[in-house]
Amino acid sequence: MDYALQQVLNALAFGAEYSLVALGLAVVFSIMGLVNFAHGEIIGVSAYSVFLAAALGLTSPIVAVLLAIAAAALAAIAFERVAFRPVRYAPTTTGLLTAFGVSIVVQNLFMLLISPKPQSVSILNGLNQMWFFGPFAVSSLQVMELIVSGLTILALVLFLNRSTLGLAIRAASRDFATVRLMGIRANRVIATAFAISGALAGIAAVFIMARRGSVSPDLGFSLVLKAFVACVIGGFGSLPGAAVGGMLLGFIEVGLLVALPQEYGGFKDALTYAIIVALLVYRPEGLLGQRVELGDKEI
Amino acid sequence: MLKVENLSVRYGAVAAVRDLSLSVGQGELVALLGPNGAGKSSTINALTGLVAPSAGRIVLDGQDISRVRTEDRIRAGLTSTPEGRHIFANLTVGENLRLGAATRRDPKGVRQDMERFLALFPVLSERYAQAAGTLSGGEQQMLAIARSLMSRPKLLLLDEPSLGLAPKIVVRIFDFIGQLKAEGLTLLVVEQNARQALRFADRVYVMSSGALRFDGPPSGLADEHGLLNLYIGG
Amino acid sequence: MSQAIEDTAPAAVARPGGALARSLIGGLVTSLPVLVVGLLILNFAPTYYTFLALGAFVNLIVVVGLQVFMGNSNIANLGHSAFVGLGAYGVAILSTPLAMKKLSIPNAPFGFATLELDPVSSALLALLAVGILALVSGKVISRLSGVAATIVSLALLIIVHSVFLNWTGLFKGNQAFFGIPKVVGLPWMMVMSVVVIVLARLFKDSRWGLQLRASAQSPQAAAALGIDARRLRLVSWVLSALICGLAGILYAYFAGTISPKLFYFQMIFNTLAMLILGGMATVTGAMTGVIVLSVGLEFIRSIESGVTIAGIQLPQLLGLSGVALGVVIVLCMAFRPSGISGRYELDELLSRFFRHAK
Repeated sequence: MDYALQQVLNALAFGAEYSLVALGLAVVFSIMGLVNFAHGEIIGVSAYSVFLAAALGLTSPIVAVLLAIAAAALAAIAFERVAFRPVRYAPTTTGLLTAFGVSIVVQNLFMLLISPKPQSVSILNGLNQMWFFGPFAVSSLQVMELIVSGLTILALVLFLNRSTLGLAIRAASRDFATVRLMGIRANRVIATAFAISGALAGIAAVFIMARRGSVSPDLGFSLVLKAFVACVIGGFGSLPGAAVGGMLLGFIEVGLLVALPQEYGGFKDALTYAIIVALLVYRPEGLLGQRVELGDKEI
Repeated sequence: MLKVENLSVRYGAVAAVRDLSLSVGQGELVALLGPNGAGKSSTINALTGLVAPSAGRIVLDGQDISRVRTEDRIRAGLTSTPEGRHIFANLTVGENLRLGAATRRDPKGVRQDMERFLALFPVLSERYAQAAGTLSGGEQQMLAIARSLMSRPKLLLLDEPSLGLAPKIVVRIFDFIGQLKAEGLTLLVVEQNARQALRFADRVYVMSSGALRFDGPPSGLADEHGLLNLYIGG
Repeated sequence: MSQAIEDTAPAAVARPGGALARSLIGGLVTSLPVLVVGLLILNFAPTYYTFLALGAFVNLIVVVGLQVFMGNSNIANLGHSAFVGLGAYGVAILSTPLAMKKLSIPNAPFGFATLELDPVSSALLALLAVGILALVSGKVISRLSGVAATIVSLALLIIVHSVFLNWTGLFKGNQAFFGIPKVVGLPWMMVMSVVVIVLARLFKDSRWGLQLRASAQSPQAAAALGIDARRLRLVSWVLSALICGLAGILYAYFAGTISPKLFYFQMIFNTLAMLILGGMATVTGAMTGVIVLSVGLEFIRSIESGVTIAGIQLPQLLGLSGVALGVVIVLCMAFRPSGISGRYELDELLSRFFRHAK
């Protein structure tokens, strides 16, 4: 029983993290059709900011968390301003490849300017402890991941449904020109979407650093690949789809970890992706994606 | 209120609007008529800034807004209800209206206006929390106009308000447009449906093939010979 | 839109035979620069440059393979190095001498440990394996929308890489797989490059290629004409994979040693940047990009490893080449999305040039 509960918590914690990152990708994709492969590097900028601040003498974990989120949001806005704005109206493939290029540049800048090797960051290690509830021992980090992700998603939903800017983001996902006819500035809507996307990535960066205790140039890359897969399985561009896809991915992964014999543990990622691809055979549009036929009435 | 001087719009080698000049005075309802492809929508898009004119000036209240971004033209008081309505289908009726007032900073006034339009259009009130995409075409047009009015514009551009609607509903929409005029709003209505557009118009412009063919009072149109009637297609 | 579709099919020729001859000659003209560079290196260059050139030729074949899918379907493929790797490991497992296998994969399953085939049969079987994987993955990818297809191509790369790493009994895991017979030199590499360039060109100009490009530009219009875009995407995916697999086979046969990390993201970055810089719409673009970036990257690598300028030893600058690659991609996409060569093939440019000169 203890073991099963532990694994469910594991799956929820993994899933929550994937959901956060996948939501960040989906927010940006839904309004401007950009497949942001540089999202992992936003996590990277966030983590390296904390690393540098700690190296310069920062000791407060709370400040480090705030710094991580702010740095990620600013990095996301900066990427948009510098690299994505010139290709804003270009075809999806152009934007995707641009983002891929940005990802390569930033990853290699970390190598060039800091080091290709992982660097130790211990400032957030305090988040990762064991908590004991009677007979149960749980990782504080996992509990926090779950709670923080849940609250963040709740905040995002409230923002998108209540605030004018949130409404504008949802409206812009269908009809950007008309949003501008409401007198709402396009740049402001896009910058807000990137800031949200970045802040979600920053929260993920905090969890990664707390778990690993180190930063490395490819820190966010594999996480973002998984988040992309979560988006695809949920239905690309759908926000609920991203959250659900992330959770599903978490459960598939932990399920495989439990089911696979030790010596085949290395195949976990391969099998996870294979299962996802197999699911896509049956639902090419994703779990919550709508099969849009040309000429369908939009609702 | 609005003065357009020698406006031209080109799409590559194609000239959609050529050397167009028109004006709309305070409190006037001006109709811009013309057959399909006459350049009416290009004119509207140039006025709102969604397409850049290749030549000419657009002056609103004495200020040249030719180089001003769409968003800021709306803020300056020029609002447009686009052709084909373009309501936000995935948002509720209420959310659509709220976005219409996005530029305003007086929550109290916004609430009053909202209540006013909901009283005016009981259908919108009934469907307040429903996705706007589920409304009928006529209801969507009402919503689109109400959404534009939520920004309290000085000048409202209406692009083909009758497009794709049943004749009975078109009459109702134009009744409402007449009412807006009576309340003192300045309007520029672009239409193919001349008969309806002329009901309340103070002045009329007729366009065809990108250029202005007629400029005068509605009564002047009746005197013109048959060719003009062809242009209007009314 | 119809204007744009016409533009991609320059000068439609009435006779089908004439069109075939035209694109055959076009392909050969396009591969001329490759032959010239190859012959120059073959006859005049020192060994070090020959080795570099061999690597560049492998990249050329990969990039041409990538162009076959990306250029015609306009869907980004970020997983093609999986097929390069499978081709390379295929011949490694089949053709490595038994004595060597005893050292590297003594416990290989399915009797591979005691199997030693000649290089040609090994290559054919490796291509068969690549073809099967391409067919299976292509079935999924051709059904998805553009973005989802790209993500799944990435997932495929990770799956294949992870199998290379973890199925140690067959692929030797993280360690280098050595002892593959070195049977390919520059002449063979040149021949194969010409073959794939002509092949890519024939596909692009074929009815299938034209239909696929049309449907990439306007799915509705193409569907209204009865074009089955899914099937065409599948065909181009498989052809693209086979060409990439061939590149892997040739790499294994000239290098003699391979390891999984060769066929992972670094290869994707390099070849993608080459294709984008050269221009993905044409086979000429693929070739141009490889030539320009191979020279450029070699120059940057020499700085990266720490050069001595005027007696001052500069530090190692690891990551410099990566930054350069990324910058090339970003700048290209922002300022010239059609790459250096744009819309026209080399032979088309030449014939336009001479027509104007007259």
